[in-house]
Amino acid sequence: MIEAAELSKRYGAKTAVDRISFNVKPGRVTGFLGPNGAGKSTTMRMIVGLDNPSGGDVRVNGKHYAKHSAPLREVGALLDAKAVHTKRSAYNHLRAMAATHGIPNSRVKEVIEMTGLGPVAKKRVGSFSLGMGQRLGIACALLGDPHTVILDEPVNGLDPEGVQWVRHLAKGLASEGRTVFLSSHLMSEMALTADHLIVIGRGRIIADAPISEILDAQGQTRARVRTDRPAELVRALAADGVSTQQLEPELLEVTGANSRRIAEVALDHQILVYELTPLQASLEDAYMQLTSDEVEYHSHTLPEAPSGADSKEGK
Amino acid sequence: MSHTATAPAPETAGSHRGPAKGSGVNFTRVLKSEWIKVTTVPSTVIMLSITVVVMVGLAALFAWQTTILFDLQSDPEVAAQVQGAPDATSIVSTIPGSGLIFGQLLMGSLAVVLIASEWGTGMIRSTMVAVPKRIPALLAKQLVFAVIAFILGAGSAFVGYLVAQPILAPSDLAFGLDTDGVLLHIINTGSVLALVAIIAMSIGTLLRNTAGGVVTTIGLLFVLPILVATLLAGIADWIPDAARFLPSSAGEQMVAITIAEDALNQWQGALVLGGWALVLLVISVAVTKKRDV
Repeated sequence: MIEAAELSKRYGAKTAVDRISFNVKPGRVTGFLGPNGAGKSTTMRMIVGLDNPSGGDVRVNGKHYAKHSAPLREVGALLDAKAVHTKRSAYNHLRAMAATHGIPNSRVKEVIEMTGLGPVAKKRVGSFSLGMGQRLGIACALLGDPHTVILDEPVNGLDPEGVQWVRHLAKGLASEGRTVFLSSHLMSEMALTADHLIVIGRGRIIADAPISEILDAQGQTRARVRTDRPAELVRALAADGVSTQQLEPELLEVTGANSRRIAEVALDHQILVYELTPLQASLEDAYMQLTSDEVEYHSHTLPEAPSGADSKEGK
Repeated sequence: MSHTATAPAPETAGSHRGPAKGSGVNFTRVLKSEWIKVTTVPSTVIMLSITVVVMVGLAALFAWQTTILFDLQSDPEVAAQVQGAPDATSIVSTIPGSGLIFGQLLMGSLAVVLIASEWGTGMIRSTMVAVPKRIPALLAKQLVFAVIAFILGAGSAFVGYLVAQPILAPSDLAFGLDTDGVLLHIINTGSVLALVAIIAMSIGTLLRNTAGGVVTTIGLLFVLPILVATLLAGIADWIPDAARFLPSSAGEQMVAITIAEDALNQWQGALVLGGWALVLLVISVAVTKKRDV
């Protein structure tokens, strides 16, 4: 259980996290979603006491992280994969971490096997690929067999097999009744892994709800329609107050009416419809809609002014 | 692979009773962790070995050089040899610790590297997540390395003593461990390195940067005394007087065999150098406790 209340972090004039309050409950995977720079990592760093909050409070299992007598057994955190001395081997890194809590070497070997690091465990961490670094970070997070697991962008740099492994791992941990808090800027990844979503943008919470609810709230009824008389159908639907968009000569996208209503209108006007596909609002769309105002670093397809172009190329 | 992840210690919802007794962080465990860290980075072990070789080697070299000087001075007249012998004793007595300057340079740099590389590589975040109270982690690292520096310094001086004897013997310059001040000289060679290591590691902790930390440490230990002696001495009367309290001068006095008038003795030197170490240690710990990592 993670409880944040009015949690804030300011760096000078810039507010990275702005009085956010949320609870992360055990027994489910909670996704922490937001664009780059939204405050996800800062929040997670405050949870484990690496950054001191400028205001507010965050507790894990009822206490500030640093107040726990065995913090690694309470919370396992992957904050960034490269928080390891590059000249030390993965095995020795884990051994040094385990020693602080008197965690036996058998557990070190266990997490090495669990994360598939066996073949490279004795190699210098500096020679690791990004994916291997992630696996080591996850191994470190699991070392204390903690009740709360915090993973910041865990699938970064992982191959498809690794991505799937993290997904199963997160769900498995949650099903054992643990608290799992997982950040990502990838909506599609969250859709597959998380049960509950906390969406953050520019340091503020935009949404905090079960994933299905976020989808429903944002979703509009849409359908794709193929007909050989599109113009007539558009007119008929418009009379009904339904908007359409012509994608191809014989293909329309209809917004604001369900498939049955469209079929009825077509039947009334004796228009042949040879495809009628209801479109699910994608989670990606819902996310874009939620965060469109909150994205800190908008990408522009074209530089708008010469000065902007200069700074981007960084010459 | 996922099934293995769920295998260890399965817990059902709500059954988590908190960590078992005796499974938490304590200072002995943090010490052990820091010991593992020091011994598992190959370059650290290499640096430590080099320090021993250099310190012992310099003791041997200095012994050899002393015999040459002594033989040159004493050859022409037998009488001079009789007179020169007592003076020679106090010169040769400092041979065991003649590598101390190099020792400070190497161990000081290594102390900075040990802590600053944690910031450089990001390791510090793993350290501080494992020991979120932070102070035990810093103190354990300081203690582990100070003890290593002491043993290495005193050990090198002792081996330097042993190596020097057969070199000195043909010139009748060999001396016993019971010679005045020799034992303290050997022990304090270790003490100076330990205190310098603490000073350097505190600077590394404050600056969080290897290059900056090494430059600052060398500046404080080796450049500042030269500046004071040459450029600043003329500015005010009290400056040469205050120079006695610089870490380098205090360290020199700690390993001195004969004490000049007005100079600090071995114990006063230890107090001054220890004061430097303590103040910097307290500042670095207090700052790190507050800072974001």
